[in-house]
Amino acid sequence: MKKLILMALVIFFGATANSTFAQKETKVVCFKSSMDCENCQKTLTEHLRFEKGVKDLKVDFNTNTIFLEYKKGKNNDEAIAKSIEKKGYKAEKISEDEYHALVDNQEVKKE
Amino acid sequence: MKNILVLFFYVCFPVISFSQSISGKVFGKGEKGEKQPLPGVHIYWENTQNGVASNDTGNFEIKQKEGQHMLVFSFVGYTTKKLHVHGSAPLEVVLEPNLEIEEVTVVQKDRGTYMSKMDPVHTVRIGNAELHKAACCNLAESFETNPSVDVSYSDAVTGAKQIRLLGLDGIYSQLQTENMPNLRGLATNFGLTYVPGPWMESIQVSKGAASVVNGYESIAGQINVNYKKPDDQEKLFLNVFASAEGRKEFNGNTNMKVKGDTITTGLFVHASDLSKRNDHNNDGFIDEPLMQVVNVFNRWKYNNFKGFMAQAGIGFMNEDRLGGQMDFREDMERTVENPYGINIKTNRLEGFLKGGYVSPSGRTAVALLSNFAYHKTNSFYGLNDFDADETRFYANVVLTRDLDIYGKNSINTGVSFVNDHFNESLYSNPITRTEQVPGVFAEYTLKPNEQFTLMAGIRADFHNNFGTFVTPRMHMRYQFSENYTFRINAGKGYRTANVVSENIFLLANARPLLWSDDSFQEEAWNFGASFIQDYVLFDRDLQINAEYFYTRFQSQLVVDRETSAENIILSSLNGKSYAGSLQFDMRYQPVERLDVLLAYRVNDIKQTIGGVLKEKPLTSRYKGLVNFNYTTNLKKWMFDYTIQFNGGGRIPVVSSDAAIATGPEEFDPFTIMNAQITKYFRYWNIYVGSENLAGFKQKNPVTDAAHPYGEFFDATNVWGPVLGRRIYVGLRFHLNH
Repeated sequence: MKKLILMALVIFFGATANSTFAQKETKVVCFKSSMDCENCQKTLTEHLRFEKGVKDLKVDFNTNTIFLEYKKGKNNDEAIAKSIEKKGYKAEKISEDEYHALVDNQEVKKE
Repeated sequence: MKNILVLFFYVCFPVISFSQSISGKVFGKGEKGEKQPLPGVHIYWENTQNGVASNDTGNFEIKQKEGQHMLVFSFVGYTTKKLHVHGSAPLEVVLEPNLEIEEVTVVQKDRGTYMSKMDPVHTVRIGNAELHKAACCNLAESFETNPSVDVSYSDAVTGAKQIRLLGLDGIYSQLQTENMPNLRGLATNFGLTYVPGPWMESIQVSKGAASVVNGYESIAGQINVNYKKPDDQEKLFLNVFASAEGRKEFNGNTNMKVKGDTITTGLFVHASDLSKRNDHNNDGFIDEPLMQVVNVFNRWKYNNFKGFMAQAGIGFMNEDRLGGQMDFREDMERTVENPYGINIKTNRLEGFLKGGYVSPSGRTAVALLSNFAYHKTNSFYGLNDFDADETRFYANVVLTRDLDIYGKNSINTGVSFVNDHFNESLYSNPITRTEQVPGVFAEYTLKPNEQFTLMAGIRADFHNNFGTFVTPRMHMRYQFSENYTFRINAGKGYRTANVVSENIFLLANARPLLWSDDSFQEEAWNFGASFIQDYVLFDRDLQINAEYFYTRFQSQLVVDRETSAENIILSSLNGKSYAGSLQFDMRYQPVERLDVLLAYRVNDIKQTIGGVLKEKPLTSRYKGLVNFNYTTNLKKWMFDYTIQFNGGGRIPVVSSDAAIATGPEEFDPFTIMNAQITKYFRYWNIYVGSENLAGFKQKNPVTDAAHPYGEFFDATNVWGPVLGRRIYVGLRFHLNH
């Protein structure tokens, strides 16, 4: 019985999650930034996740990159770049390919 | 096709997961910036508990599983470092020295509750995420989503909440704030409601006799509360809360940097009010007592970043509770002609001072922990008055030393002192007593590798009333493979039973209390074993825990409500008394960001009451708990749902006298549901929820409610919720530095 409830819940949550995220067209924007510590990563994540229309977000201080996906019409690249700069970080726009190149091919930083 | 094969493989062999090894060498930066190999560094993947330690030459090797990128390096005395690992090239890592002992912070989804595999004591940590799941409001309400701790009302009129750990009453768990024993003595009955939820940073619940460092008192376990620190990121926090029942609450705290990061201070405020008289079960009694509380606390922290740290704080609390019949007013003359009423006024002043010094080598540390409390209560229950005050002082000095440079052998030793003075008065009997207990202790920890820890401690205390007694305790942890952790513990515990004050809520019944000793010493052995299994199932951590704890009392205060029709007898145990608790729990994320907890516990608690070994009354025989917690991507919404299945139990009835209108001798199993939705915004969040969603209520929590001065009146036979469904809404606002 418990198993059944569990399964029902899984299906329910799975379905709602899928439908809400697939509703509107989204746009991806990537930036190269100037974070130098983990706290910056945290600050920016906390700040950007509440920007209008944001659907997905990856902030990484090791590669100094920001990946952001937002709903079209709710926000635009420039406003997001401004918002990053407002917090005191660089927001140099890069293409999605460049972003993936940075994140996927990064070598461990050697001290 | 390949994916299907992989899936199939996972299904067939859930325990196996693909992995490769990452190896490397860790160095520490010395005084002149030179690199030295650093042994004993704890290396683990972020958000997991799979870790290794660097060996004598600083070398290490760790398995990397799918989805594990961030490697964390942590070592006492050095700044914790995180590295994004890609590829399998050997790593070279240099750690910077840092004299402040810092805690490792966890990013990504905070699972709320976390069971440590490293700690030799079986400990469950309840973090901020878990605290957000509960409505608010105070420590007593923070355990709603926790399978190990039960919270219940002790009676139907005072609103006192009691917790049970391992099925044993809260008095057998040592309550601590900031690692110092607190909220004991006169604060026992209401102490849990004195700690406002939003002030807390985290709670640690450990089961079984705890470390000897904090005293001889913990028998069933230990509950420690950590408050928010003055040097936290949080600059300002405000919380308002209101329930449909008319409870209003305000909490706030603010941090200030007085001198950079060296001197910081925090101010905490709590005020709450419940002035609405509710009687949903129509028994003529107020369901939840009217209450006004003001609680303020100011704390300071000093850190010179050269190894010395000190903290101090002072707080004041005033509480006024009023319960009883709906028509009762506080200014009424108390006679049998007027309605029945209860009033409890409490004033409490408390403070603490602690300091610590870590030697530059990081191998030796000295800490002083001390606190004091002045607690005064003036109360009446119907026609009976109870007035009391308590003045308590506690100090503990602990010396910690690593006996070798790898920290494989370390010792904790020190001295402690308690001075506790009570003045009480009930039925015009004055009760005065002073406890003075100096003590010494030593605890040895052997940690030859990351897999094994042995902790053995002993303490001797010299009590002015009960003489000298010795407390031995032992904990062992063995992680015999990456997936299996095994723990055992055994230990003795003692506590002073404050016969009258800790049972004072029993005055809410027609039978007077009868006791011979005002205080005596309770004594018990506790044994426990637990087994934790960790698997990676479909790339997500699955944790299964099984545990058994057994407590056997040599001396105990027994509340006998069933032998005499004239009195409730409070006497010392004459015969056997034991408590067994078997618990299973399982935590898993079946889909991303949905955490599921399934737990089940069986209690077997027996006591010799009136010469017969009986089940402890008003205690559920089992408890099942299912908790679902779901957050949307980027945690903008959080949904939480808990269902508790509480087993039936025994109701104490006087068997000897047939003339008494006895009720049923058993209560049936019952179910309680709680749910909450939280919506997060950048600076604030709003939450709406319901406690006891299905509205289950104990029928007739007050026996013979129509005749509160009659001989059958009893508001203390409470086993289930007195209140039905409660709906609430709250708002939290926070600003960071």
